[in-house]
Amino acid sequence: MRVGLLPTDRGGSYRFVIMLLAILGILVSALPVVVVTIMSFSAAETSGFPPESYSLRWYGEVARLFTNEDSSSAQSVVDSTVTSLVVALIVMVISTGVCIPLAYALARGERRVREGMELLFTLPLVFPLVMLGIAFLLIAESLKLELGIWRIAIPHIALVLPFVLRNCLSAMNGISVELEEAAISLGASPMRAIWDVVIPLMKAGILAGLIFALIISFNEFTITFFMYTIDVSTLPIWMYSRTVSSLDPSTLALSVFIIAADVLLIVLVDKLIAGKGNLF
Amino acid sequence: MSETHLNIEGLSKSFDNVQALSNIDLKVDRGAFVCLLGPSGCGKTTLLRIIAGFERATAGKLVLDGADITNLAPHKRGFGMVFQSLALFPHMSVAENISYGLKLRKTSRVEQKDRVEELLNVVELPHIADRPVSALSGGQRQRVAIARALAIRPKLFLLDEPLSALDAKLRDNMQIELRRLQQSFGVTTVLVTHDQTEAMMLADELVVLSDGVIQQAAPPSQVYRFPANPFVADFIGSANILPAVSTSQKTLGLLGMNTGISVQQAPGITLQAAVRSEAISLRRVESGGTGTISFARDLGPVTEWLVQAAGHEIRVRGASSAASPTVGDQVELKFDQDRISVFAS
Repeated sequence: MRVGLLPTDRGGSYRFVIMLLAILGILVSALPVVVVTIMSFSAAETSGFPPESYSLRWYGEVARLFTNEDSSSAQSVVDSTVTSLVVALIVMVISTGVCIPLAYALARGERRVREGMELLFTLPLVFPLVMLGIAFLLIAESLKLELGIWRIAIPHIALVLPFVLRNCLSAMNGISVELEEAAISLGASPMRAIWDVVIPLMKAGILAGLIFALIISFNEFTITFFMYTIDVSTLPIWMYSRTVSSLDPSTLALSVFIIAADVLLIVLVDKLIAGKGNLF
Repeated sequence: MSETHLNIEGLSKSFDNVQALSNIDLKVDRGAFVCLLGPSGCGKTTLLRIIAGFERATAGKLVLDGADITNLAPHKRGFGMVFQSLALFPHMSVAENISYGLKLRKTSRVEQKDRVEELLNVVELPHIADRPVSALSGGQRQRVAIARALAIRPKLFLLDEPLSALDAKLRDNMQIELRRLQQSFGVTTVLVTHDQTEAMMLADELVVLSDGVIQQAAPPSQVYRFPANPFVADFIGSANILPAVSTSQKTLGLLGMNTGISVQQAPGITLQAAVRSEAISLRRVESGGTGTISFARDLGPVTEWLVQAAGHEIRVRGASSAASPTVGDQVELKFDQDRISVFAS
């Protein structure tokens, strides 16, 4: 006999509470996205909610920004977008390049070392981002190095490492040493065994890590705000300065594209690691 | 005419301060099936892993066909190994698993395909080559793991408790099959197990290990009939280890009775006797027997009794019959003289 209090398939007494919490949660997390999306279709000159009439004019404006040379601002949106993508690419390659061997070493090594290292690599998560931004700025200025795009790429790598490492580590967890030894007993050198057995089995975790690195780096604002220069700036910085100078909804139209791309990637991550890894 | 294939000389292994193996000497004949048998923690798996090359011995030598392989990297040894977890590659199909070793040896695709087919026939699993490993049953995985190890025509075939995960009936079948396979391939085999029935079923040579020391290495029937020490007697089959004494006629005195077995030791010296449970027969008496039955159970073909005699609990196993003594009966014990092993205590 089922107890009426429990949330059964017909719902129990808790059903109402659960539904209420769910609706509240969805509302809070989805509201900004919904507002931005609605406002991007506004026909008005300035951002105001709700819009009085609807049009696609700001989408046209975004298209114009990307196709026409914009002489009014120092850095065009095209340059910023390219910089953002290049930074994201560098971050993806380097962070996975570091985390795959690191995860392997930690998973096969001593448990205590592993726990200590995991903690160390999780630290950037708990530092306030503003503080990290100031710290990186101080380092970059005091070293007086001409870093170019690496000014932004290096802090981003530090920021995504914990996420990528977590994904690689949980992928390593399911790969027993005996699998490697089996490959070795069949004639594979230790490196070959890793290449043939460990890497393919880690694939889902690695891909999830890559996508995480991409999303976090592409959307990063706080640290980048300290680090950007006239020559090297990213899309979020461009969007911020555009919004500050003129409150027209073209940035909102651009945001809708970015949100759509992010959602697509998140769905991809979910498919890839289904039950195999953890995101946080 | 047997010829030594693998020779283990004075092998020792210690982890930190724990001595896992001490001074192991073992000769394995070409084509022989050797079982390393012992309780958990006796060092049998460590010995196998040293042979495979996954652990390095602290001291001693491994000689294969006259060549010293002590420091040879495991992937250059060419030994096929079946792991306890089987360790089939989950991202590969059955055929890819079996041909993995051949692929590394740069064998042609046609040859790989032929070999996979041949081995799948040998393990009686034709037509599953393209299946993913995850779609196989326990017994099928077992066979694929064996096929994968044999595909590379290994110099040595090593198995680490490969049957422990199977249920009793399947394990029984696999034991027979494994023995058949080993003989048809003629491959020198070393198997690790803690199951003495399995070891006796499979082995040409039984190596009993305890505390990192070889207690006895001999054919199974010999180990059973003539155990080298009380540990072996107790571990292989169920034996009663009883205190005994050398009588004035230099015969074995057991539970206050003279068994008539002559012993080497001088009169009065205390000894230990290992008596197999099936080497004792019981005769019911009305009163004044040597012991009293405290437990009796008819297992079908045989009956097991526990007899309390002279302060000891003695396990007896014999044919079931209607006249068998039951709990509370007084019994006389009669020992089969050939089946008693005597050890200095």
